[in-house]
Amino acid sequence: MNKLQTFTPSPARPAPENTVGPAVWLKNNLFSTPLDTVATLLLGYILLTILPGVIDWLFLSANWTGDSQDACVNDGACWVFVSAWSQQFFYGSYPTDELWRVNLSIAMLVVIIAASYQFEKGVREKIIIPLFLLLPVISIAILDGSYLGLERVSTDLWGGFSLNVLLAAASIIVAFPLGFIWALGRRSHMPFARSISIILIEFFRGVPVLALFFMGSVMLPLFFPEGTSVDKLVRVWIVLILFMAGYMAEVFRGGFNAIPQGQYEAADSLGLSYWQKTVLIILPQVIKVSMPNILATFVMLFKNTTFLLIIGIFEMLSTTQTALSNSRWLGGHAEEGYIFVAVVFWTVCFSMSMIATNIERKLNTDHQ
Amino acid sequence: MKTKWTWAAAAVAATSMMANAQAGTLEGVKSKGKLSCGVSTGLAGFSQKDEKGGWSGLDVDVCRAVAAAVLGDANKVTYKPLTAKERFTALQSGEIDMLSRNTTWTHTRDTSLGLNFAGTIYYDGAGFMVKKELGVKSATELDGANACIQAGTSTELAIADYFRENKMKYKAVTFDTSDQTRSGFESGRCDFLVSDQSQLYALRIGLKNPAASVVLPEVISKEPLGPVVRQGDDAWFNVVKWSVNAMIEGEYQGVTSANADGMRANGKPGQKRLLGSEGDLGNKLGLSDKWAYNIIKQVGNYSESFERNVGQGSPLKISRGLNAQWSDGGILYSPAMR
Repeated sequence: MNKLQTFTPSPARPAPENTVGPAVWLKNNLFSTPLDTVATLLLGYILLTILPGVIDWLFLSANWTGDSQDACVNDGACWVFVSAWSQQFFYGSYPTDELWRVNLSIAMLVVIIAASYQFEKGVREKIIIPLFLLLPVISIAILDGSYLGLERVSTDLWGGFSLNVLLAAASIIVAFPLGFIWALGRRSHMPFARSISIILIEFFRGVPVLALFFMGSVMLPLFFPEGTSVDKLVRVWIVLILFMAGYMAEVFRGGFNAIPQGQYEAADSLGLSYWQKTVLIILPQVIKVSMPNILATFVMLFKNTTFLLIIGIFEMLSTTQTALSNSRWLGGHAEEGYIFVAVVFWTVCFSMSMIATNIERKLNTDHQ
Repeated sequence: MKTKWTWAAAAVAATSMMANAQAGTLEGVKSKGKLSCGVSTGLAGFSQKDEKGGWSGLDVDVCRAVAAAVLGDANKVTYKPLTAKERFTALQSGEIDMLSRNTTWTHTRDTSLGLNFAGTIYYDGAGFMVKKELGVKSATELDGANACIQAGTSTELAIADYFRENKMKYKAVTFDTSDQTRSGFESGRCDFLVSDQSQLYALRIGLKNPAASVVLPEVISKEPLGPVVRQGDDAWFNVVKWSVNAMIEGEYQGVTSANADGMRANGKPGQKRLLGSEGDLGNKLGLSDKWAYNIIKQVGNYSESFERNVGQGSPLKISRGLNAQWSDGGILYSPAMR
């Protein structure tokens, strides 16, 4: 009788000695050619000479505790400077008792962004998108307070990194639809809408953002009628929105051009109206195609908010410079301050590009 | 330069339209209950923010003095931090009630911008800082040396004039910010550093070894710094002008925040007149009798403010120099308080 034989695969043999192990990895990656070897040794030497000093300055002999400059007795970095000014760096002069309002605004932003990941498409369109558009209004009401019966906090007290984040978010949220409308206008066959859109887009894209800020802060007030002064932060917000909308419009235009003509014709043959066609057929595809550029523009705008320092708004970078000019902190803490700002911005921008990659993967519905 | 004049022209055009309509700042401040005061975004000893977000400094004290005189409370000030470019527009457009932002009183600014300078709170001037090891005792020994200068400041003009006058040569090494200028000086890119005296002391503290550098005695330019108001509102101009004078006169009369109460009750006639227990100086300004009393009680006299912010009581340790009373060898002089 034949016994049914079961097949037991023999265990896989280990890879040949000369293809695994750290020594081989080193040989393949760092010392594979004479040129590689030289480069490795040179870079290694440079790193070895620089790194110990940097690490020592940054961590080992740095000063971590205390609340004034006098606490910095060691040779290393004076992180006391950063910790003493941390509230200013993140919240500006916003009253300490009212900080929950800033935190609440940022929390709402984070929750809405997270929610747009979690929920179904139907919920997203009906609830999350309107919430997004309402967010700037709600945040302003909370931060200002006077509409909600809270203590009024005037905008010259707003500042720090929270201002960078909220201002960038508020600008993006308004600029997104505005840029889309401008892009539609540019493609329109109506001469008036078309020329207005082109003028707006080319003006706000062609003028440096610094010049726009100066116009907003220095020139605009002179043109307002006597007695009406529009808040400086509002003027800057408007400038940021228009600047961003100009860029977004061009990003969308790229998206429009990438949609095959057949999509338009298909929509037309179904008897859809112009707006039905645009909103239901074209817009979703445009957003999908332009997503990498949209997110890159977001990151750019977020970093551009630091330019506000040149018109005296206390966002994070300008708070750092103000802190450096305080007579009790004159001991040369510029390195610590700027490194800290750089780390904070890098962390946030890097997270944004991680999210961007994630969104792109999610949106990628191509046949693979 | 060209853009600067374009701005100035636009500013003049705009102000000439507004000059008449802008009367009544005093009433405006009283009815708002707050003084809106333009200050710098951060200048050691003059207007600086602390970790808690509070403002202090000599320029800030002028804002506080005016608020104390007009509203009776030195804390009723909204500080509007302004950059150098924005400061005059902010005043002309009515966004701020007064400007107290280390602004040099010059002929051009006073006559062509539709503004008035309401006195001098600090007599500054460009000066030199050198390394001690060079053994230089006077600026006349600096022929052929390299100078660290911050680009775009009035100091550039002052040093060029000074060296030409004295038939000396120098090589300018310019930097963008005062921080960079300091590190340039520290790393030996230049032999001496030129800046306004008040800033030299602040820069000196930031050096790794402040004791190794000295500030030379020469002052080569006039930089009188003072508060600015809109032209065409004389009542408000008077209030700001006499608030500054009250601080100076307070020191001259020996009235301090500590003894103001006693002197108001039984001081000399001059002290009583200043503090409002005699005469009606306040009334003539449209203020309460206690206007100067409030200034000195809440902000202090000039000496107190000076020492606290830039003098011996501060890290800057600037000596009084020109900014001493005329009776002590300086040029501070308040017109008669009567």
